[in-house]
Amino acid sequence: MTKDEARELFIDYMYGGLDIDTQQKLETFIGQHSDLKDELDGLLETRQVLQQMPVENPKEQIVIMEPSSVYSSIRNWWENLIQSLSPRSGVGRFAFAVASFVFLFIITGSLTDMNLKMEGGEFSIFFGEQVPDQVGYSAAQVELLINQVQAENAALVADIVEAAQDQQESQFQLTLSSFAEYLDEQRTSDLQLIDYSLTSLEETTYNRFVQTDQVLGEIIETVSLNK
Amino acid sequence: MQNKNMEDAQLVQEFLGGNHQAFNKLIGKWQDRIHHFAYRYFANNDDAAEITQKTFIKAYQKLNTLDDAGKFGSWLYRIANNMCLDELKRVGRKRAVSLEALKSAPQTATERAADSELIRSEAVVLLHKALLQLPNEQRIVVIMKEYEGITFREIAEILDESENTIKSRLYYGLRALKKTFDSWNINKEVFSYD
Repeated sequence: MTKDEARELFIDYMYGGLDIDTQQKLETFIGQHSDLKDELDGLLETRQVLQQMPVENPKEQIVIMEPSSVYSSIRNWWENLIQSLSPRSGVGRFAFAVASFVFLFIITGSLTDMNLKMEGGEFSIFFGEQVPDQVGYSAAQVELLINQVQAENAALVADIVEAAQDQQESQFQLTLSSFAEYLDEQRTSDLQLIDYSLTSLEETTYNRFVQTDQVLGEIIETVSLNK
Repeated sequence: MQNKNMEDAQLVQEFLGGNHQAFNKLIGKWQDRIHHFAYRYFANNDDAAEITQKTFIKAYQKLNTLDDAGKFGSWLYRIANNMCLDELKRVGRKRAVSLEALKSAPQTATERAADSELIRSEAVVLLHKALLQLPNEQRIVVIMKEYEGITFREIAEILDESENTIKSRLYYGLRALKKTFDSWNINKEVFSYD
């Protein structure tokens, strides 16, 4: 070990950073060199003097205020309210929690129409009206029920068919009647047309005859005059 | 120490998540230490309080830039150290003048008939002055190691230097202080003077 190497170990030695072996070697070496010992003692004394410097604690606690905003002020108000309402002791907190749970249970029950029922040693919770228990049927009863339902269905179908048939028939009758009336009207109209045509023909024929008579008369007169 | 770092990390995460009260908890944990640290620089409670306040305001504004939430303490000391250095630069001229005026004071103070309390208080003032005489990089290491009890590794992290460099600065800082104490006749007996 050299003196410079020893000096490099002084800091670790003073602050307990050396292992036992290195520490012992250093102490042995320092014991052999008084200048190193004086230097180390001087450093140790300097540390002791430095520790004489007193220190004062801060007078006030620094607190960072949250930037003001509507949201933060509402949140602060809410947190303060919760804190003021919350009990301090553990027992109080437990009782508060139980009371909160019961309150929540009651509110939930009233909103969801919850019902509690205790019957025959059994406890049940249900929401809304309770559906009555279903009664079971035997096979014969089921068959009877089926037959009944089938008969009712058949009667119902028959009624429906009959009603449909009646309706169809009345519709048909109505249609026939309407068609007959239509034919009658058409016949009447045709007869009227024929009558009118015959009358016109008769008039036309008569007029022709008259004209013919006139023309013949004029011809005969003319012939007579020429003779 | 690891548990404390984890607590700090959790509080930092909570603050970054929007819980401002988490930062006040961090202040509660670190205010005294930062105040003591600043007090070593200036030996004045008001100056130390101002530096402490500025440190936490800066930390509050810049916490979102902290890479490792577990190293909040180291990061905070770095801010405080920079604040102290800035303040020293600002008032350095005045302190230099007062230091010059005090260079003759040790002779006068010890030669006068002693009031033990006066001597002790003057010795404390001289202690501060001796520290201020050190180069900045040595002073900060002396303060952090001797008064804050920070490990060499943490100091190295704060100052972004190697451990060997830190130890070397401490060694030369203590040697320089020894020389100053000797020239001003300051020793441990002065503080126990009756």
